[in-house]
Amino acid sequence: MSVKVGQKAPEFEANAFVDGGFKKVKLSDYKDKWVVLCFYPGDFTFV
Amino acid sequence: MLSCSVDSQFTHKIWQEVELSKMVDGGVQFPMLSDTGGKIGNLYGVYDEEGGVNIRGRFIIDPDGVVQAMEVLTPPVGRNFTELIRQVQAFQHVRETGEPTPAGWQPGKKTLKPGPDLVGKVWETWKIGD
Repeated sequence: MSVKVGQKAPEFEANAFVDGGFKKVKLSDYKDKWVVLCFYPGDFTFV
Repeated sequence: MLSCSVDSQFTHKIWQEVELSKMVDGGVQFPMLSDTGGKIGNLYGVYDEEGGVNIRGRFIIDPDGVVQAMEVLTPPVGRNFTELIRQVQAFQHVRETGEPTPAGWQPGKKTLKPGPDLVGKVWETWKIGD
């Protein structure tokens, strides 16, 4: 499955490192905000 | 801004501590998502099963949760964040004003008013760099 511009972004939930701690983050936590979702191959590489 | 790789949240913590915090004052402020197994990457079409990693994909998602833009690169080439910010500003401008932004548009630059009068006349009203 893949996404298309002009269509809804698929919802997800993930464990995250944020503000020095760990928490669950969902895409829908950012409703009414602009989101840039950025994938990269791995930590300790350039992005 | 949400970053996402197949690394665990624990690896993200170490990366932040040993490297990122030395590149950015106070470290990066956005959530670093763990996508172990590439489930999220699969949803977005950027998970490379052979390599077991997410390739360089980035998605601009508007306040309604709609994907407005995407860019996908193979791993060896890094990205241009100036262009990312320009695109976000352009999409925000379109959302606020309804005015489409021409090629290379920057905040404060000219926009176009599409309609029958503009057909064949873009060359008169807009030049590269306007």
